[in-house]
This record gives sequence, structure tokens and C-alpha cells, in this order.
Amino acid sequence: MSGPTRRSLLAGVAAVGALGTAGCSRVATASSTEGGDLLGRLKAQGVVRLGIAGEIPFGYIDTDGELTGEAPELARVIFKRLGVDRVQPVPTEFGSLIPGLNSQQFDVVAAGMYVNPERCAEVIFADPDYQMLDAFIVRKGNPKGLHDYKDVVEKNAKFATGTGYAEIGYAVEAGYKESDILIVPDQVAGLNAVEAGRVDVFAGTALTTREVVKNSGKAESTEPFRPIVDGKPHVDGGAFAFRPTETKLRDAFNVELHKLKESGELLRILRPFGFTRAEMTDLTAKELCGG
Amino acid sequence: MNWDWGAVADFMPHFWDGLLVTLQALVLGSLISFALGLVWALLMRVPTRWVTWPVGIVTEFVRNTPLLVQLFFLYYVLPEWGLTFSALTTGVFAIGLHYSTYTMQVYRAGIEAVPVGQWEAATALNLPLRRTWTVVILPQAIRRVVPALGNYVIAMLKDTPMLMAITVLDMMGEARLFSQQTFRFTEPLTVIGVAFILISYLASVLLRTLERRLVR
Repeated sequence: MSGPTRRSLLAGVAAVGALGTAGCSRVATASSTEGGDLLGRLKAQGVVRLGIAGEIPFGYIDTDGELTGEAPELARVIFKRLGVDRVQPVPTEFGSLIPGLNSQQFDVVAAGMYVNPERCAEVIFADPDYQMLDAFIVRKGNPKGLHDYKDVVEKNAKFATGTGYAEIGYAVEAGYKESDILIVPDQVAGLNAVEAGRVDVFAGTALTTREVVKNSGKAESTEPFRPIVDGKPHVDGGAFAFRPTETKLRDAFNVELHKLKESGELLRILRPFGFTRAEMTDLTAKELCGG
Repeated sequence: MNWDWGAVADFMPHFWDGLLVTLQALVLGSLISFALGLVWALLMRVPTRWVTWPVGIVTEFVRNTPLLVQLFFLYYVLPEWGLTFSALTTGVFAIGLHYSTYTMQVYRAGIEAVPVGQWEAATALNLPLRRTWTVVILPQAIRRVVPALGNYVIAMLKDTPMLMAITVLDMMGEARLFSQQTFRFTEPLTVIGVAFILISYLASVLLRTLERRLVR
């Protein structure tokens, strides 16, 4: 008898199936030990994968093809102290950072992500490494006179922001209709939308907007301002995000971060990216998560 | 993997918005591709190189570059030259234009399949060129190609998620937006997956009926 019998074929299929499920379960269980064993694994590998969103100045690949930005540079320093020598970027869209982290595409989100309650429900944050206000990209001369979210609503301006940005919530809180918001993939597409006249305003962090309009002849960024959250002016803090099970790694990261803050090294690392003393912060992730 | 019917319920309002946009893109895109394809096919039969060569070059170019690249070009580059259209308009036009370069070949095949005797008969009856085309050739040609055109409608349906790349909130765009806000991917993506199967199945049933009525 030559050729596979039906029975052996079935057995083969079953074996492949079992392999498949085994493979899945390996990915699905983040860690079995309490508090996570990721730091140990990262040390053994000598490399940590950072999720970045291609956003200048937070985390991006520069013109020489090198990973840089506020968060990756800080990650380099801190992870070196934790015993992990190399960092490896995994570029993705901002809106895919949290899903990507939770599906093990990378180990840490190093995109200067704002800490807010919705995100805290999905991931855990280190304490913020900077604080930040919002600003708008508008056409040169700000023809509609837009300075904060209230103006956008009152003057019926067309509003855009990025996928998964916290700014969506701020605009909705100010009374802008959510389905009218144009969601663009990133800040460059946002600048393009303003320049092309598709929208009147694109909202982002003060630094993002300031950086992206640098080479634009048709658009400018507005003065930074505080968005209103729950009726009160709000300051955002950006931080590193970890998978909820990896509390040990997060705590170790926090310890090193606080040392850098106290010694003033943090500002030295962040200064080349446009950060100043005004962006340094004592906010904690806990405060920003809302308890 | 856990399934949450609550998330499905939350997604449904967004789904209907997306469905409407997808169907708009599909219907308008199909109409443009059918009309424009016929124009290309007829232009290719004009007996002078001054027409056939430029038309040939343009349509080959469009057919041989990816739809996604065309979408990006029309949406992000044209405004720099002062031509700005809404995302949906751009998307509908891009899909229609892209697929018109396929349908032109379908029409060409249909026209060439009309027996030469029909042409000769039209000449013998001294029918003017216009009448020959409108009452003799095209009715026979188009009847032959309806099934092939139908295939392209379904192909277009499956290409509409690409419009997401230029901020159009079709079913796929709505599903992704919803996922990014709620961090739930399973439910919205499953819902639109089922919707795509249903729409393409209904479309193919519709086309089969049409086919049966046309080709007796």
C-alpha cells in the first residue's frame, strides 16, 4: 500500500491542529508568575521591543534610519540600567499601540502616550516622564480665530485629530459631535488636511503640532492651552505603557525614572526634543488614571 | 477569546453608518467604472493612433498601478495642485477609474464577439454608424458581458475597505475606529466580515438572475 491512509491523514491533521493551539496558548498567556517575568526574559534576550507611532518628537525613525525621540532615548537609558542593552523599534499607528502591546507585538509602548482612565483600563503606565498641553494646527494667521475646543464648537469649525488620540474625547467634552470629527492616520495627514482646506483645525500635543508645522508655508500652530476635562482645566502626562500583568517591570522602570528625575538627567535627555523645564512633572500615573 | 454581545450592540449604530458609505462607494464606483469603461473601449476603436495611443497609455498606467497608491495620490497630492475633493468623492472616483480599465477589456471582448455578419448586415442596410452601434452592436455586446461585469462589482466591494486609508469611514473604517476606542476587535470585525459575505452573496444572486433574463 502506498500513499497516506485516511487514518494517518486524520492523525496528521490532528497533530497540526494541536501544534497550532499550542502555539496560540503560548502567545495568549503573558506570564504565569505573579507580577510577570518579562524583565528576566528581556535581560536574557538583551533586547526590548518598543512600540512607537512615528510621531516627532515622541518616538520616530530619523532621516538616517535611526530610532530616536523622547521616549526611545529615555528607554535606552533606563533599560540599560535595568540590564537590557538594546532597544528595537516596532513602528505602528498610534491607535494600534495598545492593541499591539496586549497582543505581544512589542514589550513596551514608547510613544509618549498620555495617561487617561480609558487607557488605564487596558494597560498599566509608569509615572509620566513629561507633562503637556494641547495645541492646534490652523491655517496661517488663524483665520477662524481658534484657540481652544470651545472656539471650535462655537465657530462651527471643521475639526480633525489622530486615530486613538485623547483629543477626540476633549473635543466631544467641549460639545463637538463625535461623528463629525475627521480621524486621520497621523499628524502629517492632519497637517495635509488643514493645508488642503478639508478641515479648519487639527488638534494634537503642543510639541507635535509645533514640530510638524515647521516646514509648512500654509499652516501654523496655536498657543498651547489646557483642555477641559470634567469641567476643570487639565494637564496631560505622557508615560510608558506596559502589559497589565508586568507590574514588576513597571515598578523597576519607575524606580530608575524617579532617579533620573531627581538628578535632573531626565531634562538633559529630553531637551534635544524641544522639552523644557515647564514640561517636567511630578504627576503620577495613579492621579491621571483617576484613582 | 470572549464574545460580548454588548459590544456588538454598541457597534451597530456605527455599523449602519459604515454600511451606507460602503454601499454608496460600491454603487457609484460601479456606475463610474461601467460608463467610463465603455468610453475607453469605444475610444480604442477610433481608427487613429492619435486617440488609441494616449488612451492605451493612460489605461495601462491606471491598470498597472495599485489602487491604494492611486488613492493616496488623489487624496494627498492633488490638493497641492489646488484640486481638493472630499474623501468619499476621491474614493468613489478612484475605484471607478481603476475598475474602468478592467471593464474596458470586458466591453472590448463583448464587442469583438459580435459576429462579423452583424456588421455586414448593418452596412448592407445602410445604417448610419451611430445606429449601428446603439441598436445592433452594443445591445448584443453588453448582453454577453453582464456576468463578467458582475464579477467586477464583487471585486469592487472587496476593495472598498481600502478607502479607510484616506479617512473614509466605510464599514472597515468604522470597525477600526470603534476597536481603537474600545479596544475590542473581535466583535466589530466579525460583524463586518459577515456583512461582506451577505452583500457579496446577495449581489451574486442578483447578477445571476439578471444574467438568466438577459441570456435566454
